[in-house]
Amino acid sequence: MKQYCLVIDLDRCIGCMACTVACKLENDVPLGSNRMVVKQVGPTGTYPDLEMYFLPAVCQQCEKPTCAEVCPTGACYKNSEDGVIYIDDQICIGCRSCQKACPYEVNDVKKQQNVMDKCNLCAGLREIGEKPACVKNCPGSALIFGDINDPESEVSIALKKAGEDNVYSLQDFGNAPVTRYILRNAKWQDILPQDIEKVQGRKDGLK
Amino acid sequence: MQINKDYFNAIDIKGLDALLDDTSSFTKVGPKEDEDRDKVKKIKTNCRACIQNCGVIAHVKNGRVIKLEGNPEDPMSKGRMCAKGLAGIQALYHPNRLKYPMKRVGERGENKWKRISWDEAIDIIAKKLMETYEDYGAEYVFCSTGGGGNPEIWSIARFCNIFGTPNWFEPGCAQCYLPRVLAYTMMYGGDDPSIADSNALEIYFPDETPMKTLVLWGTAPSYSCPATGGGAVQDLRSKGVKTVVVDPRFTPDAAKSDVWLPIRPGTDVALMLAWIRYILHEKLYDEEFVMKWTNLPYLVNVETKMFVRAKESDDPDVPDTFMVWDTKTNSMQPLEYPWNDELAPALEGSFTVDGVEYKTGFQLLKERVEEYTIEKAAEICRLDPDKIVEAIELFAKNTPSGLAIGVATDQTPNSVQAAMGAATLDLLMGNVERPGALLQRFRKSGTFDMPNYPVPIAADRLPPEQLKKRLGGTEFKGLGIWYAGHPTSILDAVLTGEPYKPRVWIERSGNKLGNVANSQKWEKALKELDFIVHMYMYPTSFSAYADILLPTKEWLETDMMVEVCNKLFARQGVTHLWETIDETVIWSMIARRCGELGHEACRKAFDSEYMGKDLAYWDSVDEIFDHFLSRIDLTWDKLKEITPYEYMPKEDWKTYYVYKQIDPKTGKPAGFPTPSKKCEIYLESMITLGRTGRPFSPIDLPPASKDYEPLPYYLEPHEDPVNDKELTKEFPLTMTGGRIPLFHHNTLRNVPWLRELYPVPEIWINPRDAEKYGVADGDWVWVESKRGKIRALAWVTEGIKPETVYMERFWNPETLDTETHGWKEMNVNVLTKEDAPFNDVVGTYTLRAFQVKVYKAEGPPEGIWTKPEDFRKWLPQPSDPTEEVLSKK
Repeated sequence: MKQYCLVIDLDRCIGCMACTVACKLENDVPLGSNRMVVKQVGPTGTYPDLEMYFLPAVCQQCEKPTCAEVCPTGACYKNSEDGVIYIDDQICIGCRSCQKACPYEVNDVKKQQNVMDKCNLCAGLREIGEKPACVKNCPGSALIFGDINDPESEVSIALKKAGEDNVYSLQDFGNAPVTRYILRNAKWQDILPQDIEKVQGRKDGLK
Repeated sequence: MQINKDYFNAIDIKGLDALLDDTSSFTKVGPKEDEDRDKVKKIKTNCRACIQNCGVIAHVKNGRVIKLEGNPEDPMSKGRMCAKGLAGIQALYHPNRLKYPMKRVGERGENKWKRISWDEAIDIIAKKLMETYEDYGAEYVFCSTGGGGNPEIWSIARFCNIFGTPNWFEPGCAQCYLPRVLAYTMMYGGDDPSIADSNALEIYFPDETPMKTLVLWGTAPSYSCPATGGGAVQDLRSKGVKTVVVDPRFTPDAAKSDVWLPIRPGTDVALMLAWIRYILHEKLYDEEFVMKWTNLPYLVNVETKMFVRAKESDDPDVPDTFMVWDTKTNSMQPLEYPWNDELAPALEGSFTVDGVEYKTGFQLLKERVEEYTIEKAAEICRLDPDKIVEAIELFAKNTPSGLAIGVATDQTPNSVQAAMGAATLDLLMGNVERPGALLQRFRKSGTFDMPNYPVPIAADRLPPEQLKKRLGGTEFKGLGIWYAGHPTSILDAVLTGEPYKPRVWIERSGNKLGNVANSQKWEKALKELDFIVHMYMYPTSFSAYADILLPTKEWLETDMMVEVCNKLFARQGVTHLWETIDETVIWSMIARRCGELGHEACRKAFDSEYMGKDLAYWDSVDEIFDHFLSRIDLTWDKLKEITPYEYMPKEDWKTYYVYKQIDPKTGKPAGFPTPSKKCEIYLESMITLGRTGRPFSPIDLPPASKDYEPLPYYLEPHEDPVNDKELTKEFPLTMTGGRIPLFHHNTLRNVPWLRELYPVPEIWINPRDAEKYGVADGDWVWVESKRGKIRALAWVTEGIKPETVYMERFWNPETLDTETHGWKEMNVNVLTKEDAPFNDVVGTYTLRAFQVKVYKAEGPPEGIWTKPEDFRKWLPQPSDPTEEVLSKK
């Protein structure tokens, strides 16, 4: 079975947020909603001994997605052909169950249409043989796309090259996240994306 | 659902797609010529959201741009695109674009306007220009540009030269890039190593370059140019290149560096002098290169500060012959270019001949840096001495290496000396024109006579008596390299009438009140002027003070030749909105009308025979591009069709060791394009520049009030937090500046996708300062300098040097129509310093390294937008007219 996903090389992520805007442009994501946001992890430590990296927070394409489990209408589902989790906005009733069920808070609501929205790895672009918009435009070439079950895919090769010790996942609550993060040059902070402001001391004030 | 498409063809509704979302599933019937109608055309063009020119593929459907993506054929951006560029659609279709020429009908500042025709607008402007020209003189008109957003700066200079005014300025120039261009041009004659200005091209070939260490000094490519330099530097780091970052901010590049030197703002030259001293003392420099290819062995007359010449040359291909101290004969001997194996020149030493004292350039450099020990630099710059040494050793031992210097040092009065210091470091190491070095003279297409934009500047058309009237032009002769005037000298002239009082301002920039130092003083000057024109893509704070507004094209509407490494690209308009016109054409329209109204030089500027290499003025930019492209047997239409055009194979383009190539005219190595044909670390020509204006001025100008220095020196920031105790008591924190990846200069603050990511400017403050001054994370604070006060949102972070704060430039388009006009709330240039001391060579004022205080505010400024939904008002409207320009081709 195919399992498409992103592998994100955090050593290469320069925090420029191009992925966020590329995604908005490609997928018509409305103001106030996001499929992908770049979280700044740090600086941790005390001046001048500091560490910092950036964590693009996006759907983890979980093997056992709680968002799909709780969806009352079947709008949110994991496609067995490509392993990608979709929301069918024709069926979605905007109840936000999936948003609450997602441990990483990466499903967002399109308020005007009152439907949920999430990353489907740019299904439309994949259909015509292209990579997701965030991957194509990524200035740091940090975002890698492919089938993690195919040992010859770009993602599998990147993971192999990075070595197990440098590969991380977000915390697993039994949902088995698939997205992998590569990090060699800083200490991985085992924290959920939505809690990251606490690490850097930044209030989530305005957003 | 079956819809007969003929019906829609018959009624031809604009914006149909927006209503029906997607028409691609419709049955294709109807006449053949309409088959293309709903097809998405993919057009190659180039971005201009900043100055990087990244290759873009624009998707256009029925004349409307619906998507942008990176073009992988671009050798610098390699298919990557940043947030600024990707948001280009929202800039293009912004509902508040300037759509038509407008004439003020209310009081200045009331923001009341009436739509007028282009003919009327140009006529009003030209009549006012002619009236001023006849009643006072051409110099009473001044023009300006800058501030980001699709600028093409040479048209402004060209118009001024032809109209006869010596007064145009950029808030950039002395504050941005010019100091580096000047120093590197004079010292080795090739491209400066500014990554954000699309130089340092060696970094774009990570698989080929032998570079081992890269120093990022006051530059953060991840912030300033993510898709080109940001990505390229990451490619280098990933292959193991070591990096040193000099920056008070813990930027992404600092976080990824091997050594981070969080320097005290404004003290960069002190640190450079210490680097130079260490390299000289530890003999880490490239001795062979320094001896044979720099002017450091040449003897300087200590009294005159000039080199001793055995022979002066009249032949431009042959340099003067300089003297060295020959250690074999213990005597002064001429060293004929390029080298004489019979001689054994001394690199250091003082020598007295016939009672006259001579020193080598090397000796003078050594004396200049002598007091700057590592310990002293550590104290001045507030750095860890061990870290300084670690950084120098990486740069000087882990070679080849390169030092990329950014805009930071251009923004203090020590600007030119910082650029000279940076150049000195690379030249001492022999990091020039060898593989792995940033200083290169890779080949060019030859289709540009001016840097970056092909518009001929017509510099010789400015009458010499007018050139002498350039405000600031005598004191700051370094500005002559770009034929520019000095902003503060122009400001002071308007306010005081000394030496004369300029009366008319034609301005093109992303918000002058957001990008000139001490903006409130400029507001006073605005009130003194008879007539103000603003041309831009959308109204800015400045527009409120103007009499006429002219709508210019956004980058997706404009054409421009773009050279990227060994390829020529065409930025081509893929649509056209409203009545916008390319600014390169607007200046021509103004000149034409001035000519019709009796301005002789403007009239003759349309005569191609008379104008010669300066070209006659044009009706469209195609004429300019066709002219220059004909040099390589291309036309503009052809380039648009085949873009990108590889004008030379990469292997030929990437030429190393240009200086070693034999010049067929002399049979000797070509050397460097400097007066001595060597790298001029002892920059004698700086003295000549100060005394005469040469080589940039076509005439001899009176000398500056004091000689320019041939070697870099350190100038403590004027608002000195170390020695000025009184000032420090009231204003204890040092302000620095710098970019974030979402905006370029003053642009894009009106773009919803970017503002929702960064709605208001943060001020970064270290936790120990925050505690001391009663500020908590997320607080609204006042930031106050001697000149004014503004508000910002506090981010308390370890990622900023203690006693230092950082703030992004900002203005608020959402309050344009209020009393503040959007520039008074959170604009850091309300705080910056426009007055002396200036840089001695180019007149740089103080945009960084000045003193402020920070204290808690009750809340945000009135009327500003902070929530994503607030920006909905600025979303594109599906009803925008959008012209199908592609089908005309």
